[in-house]
Amino acid sequence: MTELIRNTTAIAGIGLSKFGRGLEESQLELGLVAFKAALDDAGLSRDDVDGLSIHMGWPLGVDYDRITEVFGLDIRYVNQTWLHGRFVTHALQHAALAVAAGMADCVACVTAISFTRLRGILGGPEDDEGTREEGGTHGEAPAYGLTAPASGAALSMQRYMATYGATSEELAEVAITFRRHAALNPRAVMRAPMSVADHQASRMVVDPLRLYDCCLITDGAACVLVTSVERARDLKAKPVTIAGMQGIRSGREEFIFAPRGLGLGQQTVAREPARERDLEVYRSAGIDRDAVDGLYTYDAFSPLVLFTLERFGFAGPGEAAGWIQGGRLGLGGELPMNTSGGLLSEAHVAGWNSIAEMVRQLRGTAGETQIEGASVLQWGTCWGDSFILRN
Amino acid sequence: MTEAPYAKPLPRVTPDNKPFFDGLRAGALRLPRCAACDRFYFPPGPVCPFCFSEMLEWSATSGRGTVSSWVVVHKAWFPAFQDDVPYNVVQVELEEGPRLTSNIVDIDPDVLRIGLAVEAVYDAVTPDMTLLRFRRTG
Repeated sequence: MTELIRNTTAIAGIGLSKFGRGLEESQLELGLVAFKAALDDAGLSRDDVDGLSIHMGWPLGVDYDRITEVFGLDIRYVNQTWLHGRFVTHALQHAALAVAAGMADCVACVTAISFTRLRGILGGPEDDEGTREEGGTHGEAPAYGLTAPASGAALSMQRYMATYGATSEELAEVAITFRRHAALNPRAVMRAPMSVADHQASRMVVDPLRLYDCCLITDGAACVLVTSVERARDLKAKPVTIAGMQGIRSGREEFIFAPRGLGLGQQTVAREPARERDLEVYRSAGIDRDAVDGLYTYDAFSPLVLFTLERFGFAGPGEAAGWIQGGRLGLGGELPMNTSGGLLSEAHVAGWNSIAEMVRQLRGTAGETQIEGASVLQWGTCWGDSFILRN
Repeated sequence: MTEAPYAKPLPRVTPDNKPFFDGLRAGALRLPRCAACDRFYFPPGPVCPFCFSEMLEWSATSGRGTVSSWVVVHKAWFPAFQDDVPYNVVQVELEEGPRLTSNIVDIDPDVLRIGLAVEAVYDAVTPDMTLLRFRRTG
């Protein structure tokens, strides 16, 4: 029944703050810039917003009740999630579900975060989610010195390399491709060209992950306005339709940063191709996977890109590291990914920077990074949730 | 001169996992085992994740297993780990099935590999807390 949501809601406006490191502005100031920019983009006013979906609250971001107080909003629907990337898709999905159910007319998805002012949260002593008993949210085990969010990705990549013969040099293709995209994007924080040698020379952080396999730590805000497809048609910007979606997958066979069957945590070891239930986003949108003109993902760590490609069957189990070689993920390639540079090179706005890029692509306003003729784009994470946007 | 207090993070002890830590302090690696389907499981919880029975028993394991994945941490996110970098963290697959995250003691990172045979050792880091670590046997 995932068709119920098909083409019922749309993204009517996007807004971004500046992105950078060590920004002086508070999260409220950054969030306000993004919120006002999104309203202006859509041609809506503050009073048109009656729902809020907050991806990351205090202290990395701002909680919904503070935003409503400070911005003077009067809200009748709220969603707010954990303090890390996992629920990016969920935050947009809940906005769409609330609109589709009539619980809100226009939901603002607001992510306003200052990572550089709060470094201690990322794997440090202030990271409460990382110290959850029996394993943090990324597979951390602080008592044993495994505290970084990169931990789970590193454990997975090590086993993936040993199982399938993938190499760090192959993995470099991810970071290099996204850096090439960032070079075309004036908002991107890291734009200098990167070679395989540069990648290999970058310092080891959690072996086998090097510095350039890990995303940027930045500050910034993004706002995405979700409303009904009918309403969006009457607004200022060309609407981008939310065509279909599928939710986060969880269970003993799932490990947040590993493909199913790899053998991390309590996973069974199996060479498991993409399953029908992981492809329901295409059924929901009423399209074939072949119709996807570009793929966008939460690239906090470069292995997550490989695992996403395998999750959705673009590559078979263990084949993604080889499959991506030769520019396949670049502009002009078979499956362009994260065309604004992603978390690895544009900025870490928890994925919303890439979602904003998807909207620009489907409006045909992406400029230097435009995918020619882009009409269907997929957002999907290695933990299995996804949505498809179309123009 | 008094010894500096233990500055590294300690596990959070809960009603679910307390028997695990009690076991470690007694020098035993005990895990929840389902008496209905006779399988060990992890993490600890009030019900068997396989057969959904609540016939929970805490049973001793062999303490033996193999490394199923490993990393070497090069950066100190907590000041207390500064003197340890670079150090290993591993997942160990026990003979009984469950995988646990831990460290291997006294090992050169160059010899770490998946499949390495290890056995449990018990490291009393404070009077109240003993951590599970492993040493190479293969």
